[in-house]
Amino acid sequence: MEPKKLEEILRVIELCRSVERSSADPFEVDIREKIELLRKQLPEWKFLDDLLVDSEAMLELAQIVKLQDEWLKHRASSLYIDPLLIQLKVKLLTREELYEGFVKSWHPLVQVDQISPSGLEKAFAYWRDLTPLADRFRQDFGSYGVQPGVIDLKDLVDLKIYNEQQFEERLKVLRDELLQKSNGEWIDYMQFVEAPTFEDKVVRAYLLAFLISEGYASLKTDPLSGKIWVVALSTKAGGIPKSMAVSIAGEK
Amino acid sequence: MTESQDKALLERKVRKAFQTLILQRGRNPGVKGWELRRHLGREYRKIIEVLSEDVSALGLEVFEVKGPDGTDDSSRFLLRFKEPPTVSEAETSGIRIDDLAVLAATIAFVNSKAGRAARREVEQFLREKFPKWRIEYSLDRYVKRGYLEQDERALMHIGWRTRAEVDEKTLMTMLLSRGTREVATP
Repeated sequence: MEPKKLEEILRVIELCRSVERSSADPFEVDIREKIELLRKQLPEWKFLDDLLVDSEAMLELAQIVKLQDEWLKHRASSLYIDPLLIQLKVKLLTREELYEGFVKSWHPLVQVDQISPSGLEKAFAYWRDLTPLADRFRQDFGSYGVQPGVIDLKDLVDLKIYNEQQFEERLKVLRDELLQKSNGEWIDYMQFVEAPTFEDKVVRAYLLAFLISEGYASLKTDPLSGKIWVVALSTKAGGIPKSMAVSIAGEK
Repeated sequence: MTESQDKALLERKVRKAFQTLILQRGRNPGVKGWELRRHLGREYRKIIEVLSEDVSALGLEVFEVKGPDGTDDSSRFLLRFKEPPTVSEAETSGIRIDDLAVLAATIAFVNSKAGRAARREVEQFLREKFPKWRIEYSLDRYVKRGYLEQDERALMHIGWRTRAEVDEKTLMTMLLSRGTREVATP
């Protein structure tokens, strides 16, 4: 669409919105003229974006027609008084006169705002039968309510996933594999931990995290691509270690 | 069912209707049509009519505010003063003159703008008579209490509670007639 023509449509949208946002007379928008403008330009639009702008303009014009309908209904009602007259009148009135005018047309509502004995009884029964918050969390979200924690080697041994000897052996195997694959170069972390099953992948990631914590490997990330790189270190690294969270996703 | 049983049943239902209407449930006062139907049965309008007659001796009436779709279910029924209070009665209720004056001027202004006015226009209009802090405080309070409505485009409309409590036509007539001659309230 030509920029000039696009600008015309955008002006129509903006005009409608400014009328909608204020108390301006909606009849200030010449609906017939605007629709004629849209009709003329319709054959020239080829792209989806152009058609979307056209639809938006039509929607805004429809909103104006709705406002015109409400405007007419209000003018036809007995509440319609010339705006300037009423504004001038209100400006001339004192606070006391405004107050008195309001009170003389006011029918305050009557209601009791208190707890009834039956309400209290129901509330007590509700409280008595209410499951404790912790139990409701468990029912609704399963283990979601449990705080995330850390599993260390002792936990794994206690869970009989490893004994200490097996752990040391697998750690050594993984370190050798990393030394061989990286050969002093940074390699892709995800490719390295990849395994036939998700369980194996998690175990590899866990063991690798152990190697990194112990200073036998190092990790770096590329914040732009989100890629994670790992390298094996031939000698144990010193310095202050930093923590980093890595998410291991399962198969979709 | 005998006539006395009928009467007893009606009395019981009218009593229930009164209790349902007068006890506040939820944030807003009043009871929706569908709630009354559930509590009193399909003939709830007849019971409400009887109740309205009964409470008129106490200077009250049951008033219906039509809902947005105009159906019986969406109507809100409220118990309210049949006649406006006198100025001295209103003064004893502890409501500030300034607060009600802001509301009266806002209703008049919004009505003069075909029922919708930008909040900044309302504030500008009120600023001639009231301090800025009082205007903002009062408008927010009246929006919260349902006397005024404010939409996402900061346009102000008349709220459902004004429709329930204020005879807008009388208010406009009162305001217009001030300074010229007094008009009797209908």
